[in-house]
Amino acid sequence: MVVAGALSLRSLSVSYGGAGGLCALDGLDLDAEPGEFHAILGPSGCGKSTLLKCLAGLIPATSGTIGLPGDGSVAYVPQGNSCFPWLRAEENVAYGLKLRGTPRAERQRRSRELLDTLGLTGFARAFPAKLSEGMRQRVAIARAFAVDAPLLLMDEPLSALDFQTKIAVQGELLALWRERRCTILYVTHDIDEALALADRVTVLTGRPGRARDTVTVPFARPRDYAGLRAEAGYPELFQRLYRGLEP
Amino acid sequence: MTAGRTIALGLVLPLALLVLWQVASDREWINPIFYPAPLHVLERTWDQATDGRLAHDARVTTGRLLWGFLLGTLPGLVVGVAAGVSRAVRDLTYPLATALYVVPRIAMLPLVLVAMGINDEARVFMVAFSVFFIVFFSALTGVEQVDRECIEAARAFGAGRARLGLTVLLPGAAPAVFSGLRVAMGFALIVIVGTEFLAANDGLGARIWTSYQIFDFPSMYAGIVAVTVLGVLLAWALLGLEWLLVPWRR
Ligand SMILES: Nc1ncnc2c1ncn2[C@@H]1O[C@H](COP(=O)(O)OP(=O)(O)O)[C@@H](O)[C@H]1O
Ligand SMILES: [Mg+2]
Repeated sequence: MVVAGALSLRSLSVSYGGAGGLCALDGLDLDAEPGEFHAILGPSGCGKSTLLKCLAGLIPATSGTIGLPGDGSVAYVPQGNSCFPWLRAEENVAYGLKLRGTPRAERQRRSRELLDTLGLTGFARAFPAKLSEGMRQRVAIARAFAVDAPLLLMDEPLSALDFQTKIAVQGELLALWRERRCTILYVTHDIDEALALADRVTVLTGRPGRARDTVTVPFARPRDYAGLRAEAGYPELFQRLYRGLEP
Repeated sequence: MTAGRTIALGLVLPLALLVLWQVASDREWINPIFYPAPLHVLERTWDQATDGRLAHDARVTTGRLLWGFLLGTLPGLVVGVAAGVSRAVRDLTYPLATALYVVPRIAMLPLVLVAMGINDEARVFMVAFSVFFIVFFSALTGVEQVDRECIEAARAFGAGRARLGLTVLLPGAAPAVFSGLRVAMGFALIVIVGTEFLAANDGLGARIWTSYQIFDFPSMYAGIVAVTVLGVLLAWALLGLEWLLVPWRR
């Protein structure tokens, strides 16, 4: 069941292969304010990707209720490499707009603008195969931002990037988020990344996933990734999340 | 420099063989009736190309081949993509297609002639039948190999079945389809020549076979040269089409 409002999940359960099948999420509760950056941490295989796929409308919930912010539309950055190899960078970014019937000139203007923001000026006409891994993830992120959905679902979008690139894209992502004021649900397995990006962090239990702990990240923005570890309270917060990830 | 060297080395053996053949035929080490010298073949090919006979046969064969290719590959593509998208279509078509795929194409010729008569429809059908399954399987495999992430990204943006097929599955399968088309073109050439050997009065296959029967060996070789040139041109045409339609693989 889907109702509009803020992001609010109640007793959400998702099984693969029907009732008797594999239960990936079992009774998950989760809330995020409009405009909140909410990170999801959880052990491998606990159902993080399943959660995002369910919210993206790709797999049905077995039971529970889903409340989505704004008009209920979502944008999704899948785990892994999801750029369309057959589309140029700007066409990738414009894909969702094209489905929505946005006129060509407007599509191009908006995708170029996003590519500029993400430092891909000059690569608009390049095919993904000609881009680096970091550039491809930037394209996937731009593609999600292009449709201006009130909820953005991002599944470990930066986990394949080297440290320097990751920091750079994080900064660009946060800038876009502040400008668009959308809610972001950001799956990661990296505690430092969650603490650098999010307003709040929810830790899931092992499979079947359910919310185990939610913490508010108190550090002021803009946060300095390197300096963050020296902040008062950081080690305690880190430890709390770390313990939350233990079996 | 190295590219030039590679080409030069590649040319050594073919040229040596041609020279050997020329000398052997001139000096009658081999029977020049059966094995006319390359220059003689070239001369005959040129004569027949310019007096219009070879051109007529080439035109006829190319027409049958292209019609058969088109009528086989388009349905193969459509059914193959459908089978990649729909489990039901796949389960319905896969077993029959697998069984028919392994039947040597030319073995079907008598059956096709009985069913359709000895006419151009039958010859075109032979080609279409032989390429259909190749394209069917390459489209099916191509669709199945499209990245899950791409499919899910498109579906999350609200792409329905038709949009997904047109904007994701078809372009995603295109590279596999083109390698299927290249194989199919090879098959088409074999089948049309074989069919014309046995069941045609014109076309390059008929020319090769008739020349053989009346001991006109230079004409036979002229036909072989023409078929080879046709094959090379068609392969290039396909590569050109791929270059145009699959620009992300350039
Ligand atoms: N399509 C599927 N069919 C059956 N089981 C699946 C499918 N996708 C994921 N699973 C299972 O569901 C569980 C959760 O998977 P996933 O959500 O991908 O975990 P995470 O993203 O947290 O690592 C895992 O045990 C996984 O094997
Ligand atoms: Mg995952």
